[in-house]
Amino acid sequence: MAPKPPKGHFNVLYFASANSFTSMESESLPAPLPLRKLFETLDKKHPGIKVKILNSCLVTVNLNYVDIPEKDDDRNQVTIEEGDEVAIIPPVSSG
Amino acid sequence: MDPQATEVQEEGCYAGLTHDHLNAQGIMDHVRSPQAGAIVLFAGTTRDNFGGKPVKELQYSAYNPLALRTMMSICKEIREKHDLKLIAMVHRLGTVPIGEESILIAVSSAHRQAAWRAGEEALEECKSRVEVWKLEEFGGEEGGVWRANRDGLQGVQVPASAPTNPQDSGDGPFGPVIRPRRPGEMGHGAVVHPKPDQLG
Repeated sequence: MAPKPPKGHFNVLYFASANSFTSMESESLPAPLPLRKLFETLDKKHPGIKVKILNSCLVTVNLNYVDIPEKDDDRNQVTIEEGDEVAIIPPVSSG
Repeated sequence: MDPQATEVQEEGCYAGLTHDHLNAQGIMDHVRSPQAGAIVLFAGTTRDNFGGKPVKELQYSAYNPLALRTMMSICKEIREKHDLKLIAMVHRLGTVPIGEESILIAVSSAHRQAAWRAGEEALEECKSRVEVWKLEEFGGEEGGVWRANRDGLQGVQVPASAPTNPQDSGDGPFGPVIRPRRPGEMGHGAVVHPKPDQLG
């Protein structure tokens, strides 16, 4: 399990191809962060991850799947808060 | 849910994740019932090749709390839909040598027809939804490949580090899983199997 994020931060968890790309299981990022900015924030830390990995991934916040708003003025803008657990979910392959 | 939990149990349903060998007898005992006339057990085993290419071993990883939650919700949906007595599923994690079980699903019902159908549907739902990932190790210098159960045919961008072969049929001649769209869904469509003549 990822360690508890430091004060003012949230955790993002990387699985499967996201884990291979970043060579990390998780990292802490400053909160709050609008969900809409998540992919570009991660792409700055891990250049190329958006196109190669994130665009085919789903995202959960505290174990719930969320839609990433496409535009600034989309309704239901979600903000990632301090202490949240965000996860990058690549296409699954159980069985 | 306890993030360290490796199993959950609720009325008539059991879901588990384990690094140990899977135990077919054990999961059948989870669904045994005097009111049942049938138990159907499915065992998924690790295959030694992908499209003819030799696979050395497989490694499974999971987002444990979410995978357990999804498995439990599949159990509840399938149990209600097919009027099952009991349903249980367990997935193995870590390195699984070729030819060993990676998933077991057991269902019990009053009559066999419902059990057959429920067992198949439960597996297809697992393969399309449960947050478990398979790394196929081919050996040599190539490294592993993260497999994806969904088809790669519908304009979904596939990461370079995890190439998805459109011929990845998952397995078996099952039809697509029809179900409502879920929140956040982009790349994960229903599992669509190619026609037999597309297979190598």
